[in-house]
Formats: sequence, structure tokens, C-alpha cells
Amino acid sequence: MRKRTLNRGLAGFWWLTLAFLYLPLAIVVLFSFNSTNSAANFTSFSLRWYHRLLGNEQIISAFYNSLILAIVSSLVALVIGCLIGYGMYRHRHRRLGWLIVLIYLPIVLPDIVFGISEMAFFVQFNRLTGLLEPGLGTMIIAHVTFQIPFVALIVYSRFVGLDPSLFEAAKDLYASPFQRALHFLLPTLKPALISAFFLSFTLSIDDFVISFFTAGPESATLPIYIWGAIKKGVSPEINAIATLMIGAVALAAILSLLFNRQGRR
Amino acid sequence: MANTPLVTRRHAVVSETRHLLFSVMPGAVWIFVFLVLPSLYLMAVAFMSNGPYGLPELPLSLDAFKQLAGFGFLGWSPGNFYTLLRSLWQTLVSTALVIVVAYPIAYYITTCRAKLRPLMLLAVVVPSWTNQVIRAFGWMNLLAPGTPLSDAAQALGLIGQHMGLYPSNFAVTLGLVYNFLPFMVLPLYAAFEKLDTAQVQAAQDLYASPMRAFWHAVFPQTLPGLLAGTVLVAIPAFGMYVIPELLGGGKGMMLGNLVANQFAGGSNWPLGAAGALLMLLATFVGLFAMRRIGKRLGGGEEVVI
Amino acid sequence: MKTITTRVVAGLGGLMLAGAAQAEEGKLYLFNWTAYMDPAIIQAFEDKYDVEVVQNYFNSLPEMFAKLNTGGVSQYDIIVPSNYYVPRLIETGLVQKLDKSKLANFDNIMDQFKNTDYDPNSDYTAAYQYGVTGIVYNTETFPDAPKSWSLLFDPEVNPGRPFGLMGDGQVSMGAACAYLDHGYACTDPEAWKASAKLLLDTKQRDNFSGFVDGTPALQQLARGVTHVSLSYNGDYLYYKEENPDSFANIEFMIPDEGTEIWVDSMMIPSEAPNPELAHKFIDFILDPEIGAQLSNYNYYSSPNEAARPYLDEVLTQPPVTPTEADLERLSFTPSLEGDKLQMFNQLWTEVQSR
Repeated sequence: MRKRTLNRGLAGFWWLTLAFLYLPLAIVVLFSFNSTNSAANFTSFSLRWYHRLLGNEQIISAFYNSLILAIVSSLVALVIGCLIGYGMYRHRHRRLGWLIVLIYLPIVLPDIVFGISEMAFFVQFNRLTGLLEPGLGTMIIAHVTFQIPFVALIVYSRFVGLDPSLFEAAKDLYASPFQRALHFLLPTLKPALISAFFLSFTLSIDDFVISFFTAGPESATLPIYIWGAIKKGVSPEINAIATLMIGAVALAAILSLLFNRQGRR
Repeated sequence: MANTPLVTRRHAVVSETRHLLFSVMPGAVWIFVFLVLPSLYLMAVAFMSNGPYGLPELPLSLDAFKQLAGFGFLGWSPGNFYTLLRSLWQTLVSTALVIVVAYPIAYYITTCRAKLRPLMLLAVVVPSWTNQVIRAFGWMNLLAPGTPLSDAAQALGLIGQHMGLYPSNFAVTLGLVYNFLPFMVLPLYAAFEKLDTAQVQAAQDLYASPMRAFWHAVFPQTLPGLLAGTVLVAIPAFGMYVIPELLGGGKGMMLGNLVANQFAGGSNWPLGAAGALLMLLATFVGLFAMRRIGKRLGGGEEVVI
Repeated sequence: MKTITTRVVAGLGGLMLAGAAQAEEGKLYLFNWTAYMDPAIIQAFEDKYDVEVVQNYFNSLPEMFAKLNTGGVSQYDIIVPSNYYVPRLIETGLVQKLDKSKLANFDNIMDQFKNTDYDPNSDYTAAYQYGVTGIVYNTETFPDAPKSWSLLFDPEVNPGRPFGLMGDGQVSMGAACAYLDHGYACTDPEAWKASAKLLLDTKQRDNFSGFVDGTPALQQLARGVTHVSLSYNGDYLYYKEENPDSFANIEFMIPDEGTEIWVDSMMIPSEAPNPELAHKFIDFILDPEIGAQLSNYNYYSSPNEAARPYLDEVLTQPPVTPTEADLERLSFTPSLEGDKLQMFNQLWTEVQSR
């Protein structure tokens, strides 16, 4: 009897927490369809902010910047992180403490310290050499830096989960390391690579602080644009942009669910 | 003849080492050049003196640390001290609240049907896939003056007439809890899932009260997850910049804002760098402490992540 | 999809060459305040010279200064700072001298904005617009508002309505100085300390809602988030025109204790990618008709003598052109340097963090 009350209480708490988690997002979505620029009163349904959004060149270019930044940085991080993950596995019996520390550093460093160090460094470097001017280039570098560890850890744990004798078998089967990589490593790694890319992509889209401090005049991403608009208080399209981003996230959630289902089958 | 195997072995070692270098070096060098060097540079900036317009200059000096401690033109003043205390307090309160919410949630998920669990976890995590600026913006809309929540708080006498729940320190705490909740639910869920039910059963037989059974059998087993979650929540919360800036409204300044203002407001790079150094120190002390506690509790497992 | 692929490839290529001078021929990078430039003027300039103008915006001078220091000095062609930031820009070498031979319209600038205190030989600056910082408030909440800073600083005048102060510390400090009878342009350490104390006390009040920059302050007022705040006369009129309903009860006021008058000037960063085009742009803005078009758009006073005949009626009345009596109470924000600046920054950090 008592257990049932507990469970019922827990279920209630669960739904309450879900409401807490989704309320702010729901409000943003709801008010993106508001015909007036007000956060307090919903007047009537309208698509005017979406129309304005489509006509706003800055938002469109911010959208492209976000996308390019996420795709390019994830690809670079995938290659580099994958190599590290493999190296860590292959040489796991050696003393690699320094490498572990190096890999955990980007994960544990507070965003703000991360962003400011990079900014100060890039500025100084730029002053001395004229290279690495703030812009998409520096942002990509910064993003790759915090994506590498996640890729490496995912790839590493995929290898650890494999039966070691598989590697022996592959060695017997394929003579050259290149063939081995092509026919054995890459196919086995595929799910890990996909989820690593996915995670890197999400991390990049989710980041604001580090992008903010490493951006240049032409490389504002959507979050940077939204931040500026909030700070200026002038852009009622924020709700609409945010809604589109929330929609993209919802889509990603559904995809990952389907993907998981398929993976298990 | 006798030394042939030795040569091959040495050869193998050399080639293995080369393999290690080729696979690990690009990433290691990348992180070293683009994170370790910049961090070292930032540390160096903390030991430089502040130029007339806020940029770092030689000679080296400890002025930035003195200023961080509150010593300036006006003698000692407690401003930065307040900021530090506020950061610690917000971290403490929000982490505690996150634990209070996440603990039953994580447990509840494990009691649900196995098929539902991934879906439920996803439901908890999905909001954190949206950008933190958007999430804070959602709360700005929810808590502004004139919204139902603010009206209700006014009616209860929690806030003054005409005021909103945002901007305030309360809004910052709420934003932090909202932001970091999934970080706690995931590791706790993992801990609950591994729960040794036989042990719990035994405890239930042994101790009469379910409270004591929980305390002696369940709680210790979830501790590694709790610690991991605490690290994942407390460290980024301590250095938070976006949430106090958007939801705090000038009263909720935290260390992250103090640091960022010295760069983004253009006033004092060395002071900002010194603040960043303090944050870094706090991070490592926190990590180290968690590891020690984790080890003492005999988890033996990697606590971080 | 193809364009995205191309862009990704371009992005990868860009990473390889990261930083290889991005200066493209035919692009002008303009770093300006928000809501301060008529898009039609930009269009006209683009058409006339067959170039592209990339606009970036700042909300406050500290933000602008910080951006220049973190790489912006070689990324923007034109910046538009206010008078009190001009000396520090010159002294830190962040700006370059103007080549007057390329500015045929330079003489159109009124004499009072040439050879000024902040730029004695007019080597660096070409005046853009000038205006006033004042109190904006809700007339419904404060039907009998005194013409005074007490609306912000006296808890008895405003016991319970949410209010904001200016995000730029020097302006908020000046306002507090003025309220304490030290004058808006005070720089005396004792006056500063007293003002900082007042700001701290004010900030501790329950109905203090935050430090906001001038433009967002207006939006907060229109949305009812605050009921009194600090902003600029031109922005006030601009947004009132854009959204008459929300601003129906919002009024702009110059307090009797005095407040800020400012001049924003066009300057060229020392490592600007395209100074040639920057000069063309400055000269374009100094054209009489363009200058008038600018003022007619953003509701600020034009420092362009020759533009006068083309100005709209509304620009000749308050609040754009203050009354004689009000004009006498206006002063420039002092430019700070050296120890004074450091002292000010410490006081301001103290105000922000407590």
C-alpha cells in the first residue's frame, strides 16, 4: 500500500519536473506566434515574426555560420579525436597519464576561462604574426579543441567494448594496415563515429560563451545573434529563431530515438 | 646471433612508439597549442600590471591579485569578496536543489518499464540540447513582471508590487537548476540501474524502518553517481556567465561575470586573468576533493564522467 | 544543399588559411551603435561605389573599446565613439589620422564640433550626430514626476516601481553626481565616492531592476519591465515613432540638476582593412542631404551646418533640440585616463559587484 503511494508521488513529481523542463521552451514557441511584441499577453496567432526573420540577412548569415562552424569543427574533431581514441586503446598498457590529463582538460575547464584564454591568446598571436584573426577560423579551432576529447572517449570506449581477439583476426585477414583500417576498423567504428559526430555537432550548436569570445565581425552565430538581440532588447524575432532551433532539437531527438531502436534490432 | 630477438624487440618498440606518436600526437599537439598555451598565457597575464587603459603590460606585478582580494585606491573594499561569496552560495544552493530534484527522478526512471526508460532519459536531456541563451530567454519571458508567475508571487507577498521574479538572484538560482538538472539525472540513473537489489532486500529485512534501509543500503551505492553529478553541476555552475548576466539584472553578479567584464567591458585584463586563475584553482581543488572522497568511499571507479 | 557543401569546403579551406588577411576589396566594415543608421543611406553608398557594407553593432562604449582591443582594430573600417572615448582611442594608438584632402565635405561640420577638447586639431574625428542622455519614464505611473534625478535616486519619489540605471558606469556615476549637486561632469574623488555610495544604496533597493544600456532601456519601459530608466533623446523618438502604442505613456525628460550631452564621431581604426573606402564613407555622410537624411531617420541633431535646410520640423523642437534653459544644464562626460580611470573602474566594479 505504502509503496503505491510512494510510486504515485514519484510519478506526480516526474510530470512536474517535465513541466519545469519544458515550460520555458513552450513559452518561447507559443509567443513566436504572437501577433504583438509582448511577453505577457498573447494577442492573436500570427506568422509575422517568421516573415521578418526570413527577410533578415543577418539572421540568415548567422544561421549559415552556425551550420558551417558545427559541421567543419565536428569533421576535424572526428578525425583527430578518432586517432587519439585509437592510440589510447592500442597503447592502453603504457603510461598515458599525461594524455588523460590533456584530454580531460577541455572538459573540466570552465567555459569562461576557456573562451577568454583562447581570445587573449589569439589576439596576442595575431598581433605578433598577423595570423589567426578573430573570425570563423578561430571559432573552428576553439570548437575542435573542446570536441576532440568527447570523440576520443567515445571511440576509445567502443574499442574497449570489442573482443580483443577480433584485432588478431583482422591482422591475419588483412596484410596492410591501410586495408585493416578500411575493412575492419572503420566498419566496426561506424556507430561510434556517428554518435561522436552527432555529439560534437550538438556541443558546437549548444556553445555560446566560447564562440562569443572568439568571434569576429562577420562570424556571428545564431546564439551570438540572439544574445545581441536580447541585450539590445530590439528583436522580437528572437522567439521565432529560438523556436526554429528548438524544432531542430526536437527533430534530432526523434532521429536519435529511431536510430537507437534500429541499432538495438 | 643471440641478439637478433633483442633487435626485433627493440624494433617493435620503436615502431609501436612511432604508432603511438602518429595516432595521439595530432590531438595532443592541438590541445596543447590551442588550450594549454592559451591558459598559460592567461596565467602570465594575471601576473602583469594593468596598463592605463586596461591592457596587460610589463613589469610583472601582483597588483591584479591584490585588486582581486579587494585592495585598491580606496583601501580594502568588499565588492569582489561579495561576488566570490555569491558564486559559492549560488553553486551550493543550485547543486543542492539539483540533487533534491534529480534523485527521485533518477530513481523513478529505473522503476519504470525498461522500454520506457531511454525515452524518459531523452525527455530529461533534450531541453539541454537547445542553446543556454535560448533557455535563459525562456525564463526571462516566464518570470518578467506582469506574467502569471510573477503575479502569483506578488499575491503571495513574495515580491513587491509591480515587480517581477526576474531579474533577481532567485531567477539566477532557478536558471542554474534548470540548466544543470540533466547533468545530475544521468549519472544518478546509471548508479540506480546498477543497484544491487539483493543487498537492498537484506537491508530491508535487517532494519525495520525503510528510512534506515535506504540510508544503509541504497544511498551508499548511489554515491559514485552523486559525486560524478556534483562535479558535472558544481564546476560549470561556479563559472557561469550567461545566466547571471541575463537573469540577475545587476544584483546577481558572479565570478564568471567579474572575469568576463574585465575583458568584454575593457577595463582590466590582469584582474580578469587573476579571477580566471582563481576559478581554475577552485575547479581543480573541487575535482581533487571529489576524487579523494570517491576513493575513500571505495568506489574505486573513475568518478569523473 | 549544394551551397552548404560549398560553404563547408570553403570553411575547411578557410581554416587552413585562418587569418590570412580577410580584407576584401570593396567591403566596408562599419562598427556603429544600434538603430543609428538609415538602411537607405547604406544602400545609396553601396550603389554609388559598388561595394558592400558590413554593419556590426555595439550597445555601449566599453563594449566597443573592448572589441577594438581584441582584434577589432584591424577588422573595422569605421567606428562611431562618443566624445569621452576619443582621447583614449588616440592615446592607445587604436585610430589613425583622417586625410582631410579626401574629405571635401569636412567643412560642412559646425565650428563647435571642430577643434574640440577631445580632438584639438580635428585630426582624428568627423562628427556624426549629437544628442542628450536623459530620464525616460512612464507618465501613467508618475503623473507628477519632478524634473529631477530624484525620480531615480530618491526612494520616496519612487518607492515601489522597478527602475534601471545606465550600463555605462560613467553616465550612471555622472547622474548620481548631478543629483548630489556635484554636477554631472564631476571628477573629484570625494564626489565620486559619495556618488558611488549613492549608487550602491540605490542598487540595494528592492525595486532596482538592473544596469541597462540606453537602447534596451526603452524596450523594457515599453514592455512594462521598468517604469523609469536612462536613455537617449533620439532613440526615444525613433522607437516611439516605430511603435506609438507601446510608447504612448513614455516621456523623455532633462532633469534640472543637469545631464549629459554627447557627440559621436566617425573615426578610422589604425589598422583598418580599407581606409580608402572609409574616407569615402565619411565624406558621403558629411554630404548635406545625406547628413539631413540621417538625422531625419534617427532623430538626433546633425552637426552638419549645411544639412540644416533639409531637416524635418520635429528635429528643431524638444527633445531633439532642447530648450535654451535645458541646454545650459548639459555637459560633456569627462574623458578619464591614468590613475583617475583606474580609480573610477574600481569604484564602478565595486558598485556592480555588491
